[in-house]
Amino acid sequence: MLAYAIKRIFVLIPTLLAASLLVFVFIHLIPGDPAAVLLGDTATPEEVAQLTREMGLDRPLYTQFFLWLGNFLQGDLGTSIFFQEPVLSVIADGAETSILLAVMTMFWIVIFGVPIGVVSATRHGTWIDQLSSGGAMFAASIPTFWLGLYLILIFSVTLGWLPSSGFPSLSDEGGLTNLRYLLLPSLTLAAPNAALIIRLVRASMLDVQREDHVRTARAKGLHPLRVAYAHVFRNALIAVAAAFGFTFAALVSEAVVTETVFSLPGVGRLVVQSILRRDYPVIQGVILVIVILYMVTNLLVDLAYAWLDPRVSLK
Amino acid sequence: MKISLWWKSAMAGCAALLLANSAWADGTLRYATVGEPPSLDQHVVTSDLATTIAHHMFEGLYTFNGANAPVGLLAAGEKLEDDGKTIIISLRKGVTFHNGQEMTAEDVLASLNRWGEHGSRGGLLYANVTSIEASGDHEITIKLKAPFGPWKNLLAFINGGPAIYPASVAAAAGKEPIAPEDYIGTGPYKFNEWKANRHVELVRHDGYASLEAAPDGYAGARTAHFDKIRFIPVPDVGTRVSGLKAGDYDYAESIPGDLFADLDADPNVKTILNGGPIFGLIFMNSKEGPLKENFALRRAIQAALDKVPALQVSIGPEKLWRANGSFLPEGNVWYSDAGADNFSRGDTDGAKEMAAKAGYQGEPIKFMVSTNYAFHYDQAVVFTKQLAQAGFNIDLQVYDWATLIKKRAQPDQWDLFFTHHGFVPDPILISVMNDNYPGWWATAEKAGLKAKFTGTADEAERQKIWSQIQTAIYEQVPTMKTGDVYTYNIASPKLSGLASSTLIWPHFWNVDN
Repeated sequence: MLAYAIKRIFVLIPTLLAASLLVFVFIHLIPGDPAAVLLGDTATPEEVAQLTREMGLDRPLYTQFFLWLGNFLQGDLGTSIFFQEPVLSVIADGAETSILLAVMTMFWIVIFGVPIGVVSATRHGTWIDQLSSGGAMFAASIPTFWLGLYLILIFSVTLGWLPSSGFPSLSDEGGLTNLRYLLLPSLTLAAPNAALIIRLVRASMLDVQREDHVRTARAKGLHPLRVAYAHVFRNALIAVAAAFGFTFAALVSEAVVTETVFSLPGVGRLVVQSILRRDYPVIQGVILVIVILYMVTNLLVDLAYAWLDPRVSLK
Repeated sequence: MKISLWWKSAMAGCAALLLANSAWADGTLRYATVGEPPSLDQHVVTSDLATTIAHHMFEGLYTFNGANAPVGLLAAGEKLEDDGKTIIISLRKGVTFHNGQEMTAEDVLASLNRWGEHGSRGGLLYANVTSIEASGDHEITIKLKAPFGPWKNLLAFINGGPAIYPASVAAAAGKEPIAPEDYIGTGPYKFNEWKANRHVELVRHDGYASLEAAPDGYAGARTAHFDKIRFIPVPDVGTRVSGLKAGDYDYAESIPGDLFADLDADPNVKTILNGGPIFGLIFMNSKEGPLKENFALRRAIQAALDKVPALQVSIGPEKLWRANGSFLPEGNVWYSDAGADNFSRGDTDGAKEMAAKAGYQGEPIKFMVSTNYAFHYDQAVVFTKQLAQAGFNIDLQVYDWATLIKKRAQPDQWDLFFTHHGFVPDPILISVMNDNYPGWWATAEKAGLKAKFTGTADEAERQKIWSQIQTAIYEQVPTMKTGDVYTYNIASPKLSGLASSTLIWPHFWNVDN
């Protein structure tokens, strides 16, 4: 398994290079000028041209790319044009929020999605199954911005129990209690994703329930709970593991709407704002980090397959 | 038993989380902003958001009173000699920077020189300066080539204006924006921290040397009641509104017009109009294309537009807009109705006839607008329809703001573009007065009037000349004003000391909870 993991890590390098080249080309194809955005409405064309020169954005694209690549290989993602801070530090700040939000959302997904999916499968065809399947469809259909605003209206404006928006760092005043800022956003983000997991767990368990080894286990007279857990659930989990992996990666990178509604300083909002500001180094840096996240998640999912199912060989 | 204990612990944890809500709001004013400013260095940045934050930290020699007249802030007084070509400004004594150092003429000199050389608006004044020197520890002398009427307004306008920094900070920064760790001013609040995407935080400057006169606009005594002011980026307007209602913010800016009626009637929310209106502008290309030097065709376009429906559609409640043709609002010393009968004629048939006489034969007219500002797009759609009815072939091109400002610098890319302008205290600061601003209006008539306008310090004479310039704008149509928009903010009713409208940018000295 270790040799496989090392081999996969080496495969990451050309993939990363290709991704970085694509990202670089695409973000420079968007019209718009960071110097003009930065200098504002009163800047003259001469001032814009001067700042463009100073930022090195007047050089040929390939020169800019190789300069960026050289710095990247030394662990330097450059400096944000807008924040005038190292890109790594800007991303790290956003990553704290995004990772905590993703972890908390995954917590809700596991807490709600898996048990409801199991119950739905074991009570297949009953009113419980219909209720949970209907509920999952409903949760998957609600737009996250709508759900987010209603949760704010109920829990923040009307009841005053939870903060409506923002997220101070855990290292700020308040410490761990600042996690309460993520309760509503994580529930908002969890709703459609938990629905997906409910459907997936239910479908996988129903598939496994029809297999011969389950029939054999039942025929041996094993307790139904033991059959459900040891013979159905564990086998069904293999298909669900991949979904968990990609859901986590997607939660970090695609939570833009939720981060905007709850005004969270995460990487999703950072990348959108950076595109509007044409902050090329930040866009490039964030997208690369997301590419790495997806690749690492992919690798972990493959390793998890081997761990969950000894028949899977990693070569 | 074990489960019960676990359950109790979980419940206690949840209760602690809930009770922790708003536990440390006291002493901190939380201001929900639309986004994040590029920098707070007032010399180089003209963003209104940057000034809203920065004018709590940085002060200039002059500021504006409630009537928008420039009055002393760090300046104790001034005298003019040599027919107004020599300005001697005496400085207040005992004013300290946030680093404890006393402000002297050397600091003022270094700040003015940096602003003059690298500042956004400094070139306007410095093009007329022959020398500037510290003529005493607390006195500076500015010598001009010719009398220059707007000098005091320019020194008082802090947005892109001459904030006074310590000489060492001004010298070290040069043309680069000042780094946050060097944000050192003389204001009632000082810089504490800037966390990207989270907040900018200011804390009270205990050594602040306040004026003693009664507060009047931005002038007079300034007292910092709050320990901290935190400016928090909250881009979603729904979140800004619900956050204020929930008590997470004390003040929230830029709320759309369609929420005004409900919020104005809500006893839990205080609405505050921005006193200085912003106004939409449609610039015409004077360098290339069908509108270049064809003033008759421009007047035909101008005649086709009826601004009222565009303002109704884009802004909503009548309290928030005025179909006002004067470039500066009623009540302001620069208010003038000269030429303004052409502001909003909405004369479709007349426009068709005028266009035909101007030689227009249906050539496409490229009209650029951005969706970043909803009212730009909404108004542009209304105007496009009106122009189409008058026979104009309008090619509406919709971009994001960054693309639009890139394209507008290229004269072959557009014929009309939509932007807006913030309130300014002196017409010389309106972008159409700048020959290099995209649109590039630089006719001989403008040059002659502009020279007269800046060449006198006589306010009555300047107002008269401004009326002539406004008439020329309606005649040559380098730009079309689309009407005044009074944006508004909302505040917690717990805040005291807030007026029902701001002067230009909101300020929180003399405000308490």
